[in-house]
Amino acid sequence: MAASAQTLTLPFQAGEKRADDRELVQLSQSGMEAAFEELVRRHQQRVFALVAGILHRSDDVEDIAQQVFLKAYLGIKRFDQRAAFSTWLYKIAVNECWDYLRKRKVRPLTYEADLSEEQVSRLDGIVSSSRPPEGPSARAETREILERMLGVLPEQDRQLLVLKEIEGFSVQELAEILHLNVNTVKVRLFRARGRIMETYRRRLNPLGKGHAASQEGKE
Amino acid sequence: MAMDSENGRTACRKHEALLEDYLNEELSGAEAPSAIEHWQNCPVCSALLEDARLSRRLLRVAEPSPDPGPSFARLVMTRIRTVEHERVALRANFWQPFVSFGWRFLATATVALIVLVSYNARWGHDAQPNVVTVRPTEAMPMDILAPEPTTVAANGDEVLF
Repeated sequence: MAASAQTLTLPFQAGEKRADDRELVQLSQSGMEAAFEELVRRHQQRVFALVAGILHRSDDVEDIAQQVFLKAYLGIKRFDQRAAFSTWLYKIAVNECWDYLRKRKVRPLTYEADLSEEQVSRLDGIVSSSRPPEGPSARAETREILERMLGVLPEQDRQLLVLKEIEGFSVQELAEILHLNVNTVKVRLFRARGRIMETYRRRLNPLGKGHAASQEGKE
Repeated sequence: MAMDSENGRTACRKHEALLEDYLNEELSGAEAPSAIEHWQNCPVCSALLEDARLSRRLLRVAEPSPDPGPSFARLVMTRIRTVEHERVALRANFWQPFVSFGWRFLATATVALIVLVSYNARWGHDAQPNVVTVRPTEAMPMDILAPEPTTVAANGDEVLF
């Protein structure tokens, strides 16, 4: 890539008009490193979220995310822009995650039995009050509890639910990224929701709070 | 009605895909009014919807992954540059033996050419072999070595010769 290109004033640096991804991709294809860097900045959070959603927030998320952008850079000249850059990038990310999981052979197994009574009651309190936990440590712990609950779902259903509800991907995006039909995504999401609530109730019942959350929800 | 084998519950398959849209408040189209009417009257579907709403509240408690920050893009670009350098070096290493062989061959050929040209310039004329040109004369006919067919052999030795 031409290093001198970076010294030029790029359309997206001028501040007058924010260049869209299409222009940035074209500039990247012509060898402008700064244009690709801008693409990285724009999409890094979503790629991070996607990788974290699939890999259960493992320690390797940052490394995999870097690898995704590296592959995108090496393959950008072959990208014909028939799909959106983001979709193409997310597909690379998903493939990279699956490769990673395949190499590791096993997914980190989690069991609902791992949840302690204290954790379940904390979760119940959160659902009843509909208030997010305060403080980073409490939030991290809640996320951990949720991940354990989600462990009862088949891997793809868990990914769908996490990416949709926690990371904020749309149904359309998920269908494109995961090569699924839109209606299939919707049905699987809905069934996964039912299953996660079943698990939740099963954990609540020993505490005698079976309907607490459900009653709160109706109110 | 279709049996949901996982939950042991039944759900109306006809409207199943629309439930997710309804939950996301994205339901539209001609099917919407009939679907909504069904869900309001069907206890199984309304219970499923209620569960779905609760699950959403449960899941949204968790925060999305944080932005990795501006340093991430710099790290990515540094890694890209490193890989680019490695690729260039690798490409150079691949051709290196061929280039090296080419230079050696060229050098050897040049030396050989110089040696030959110098030799030719210095000793070229002397080294030529003496060539005696024999021109036929009247005194020495061309068939001097051939026996005359009409000559009769004088003795036995001559016959053998």
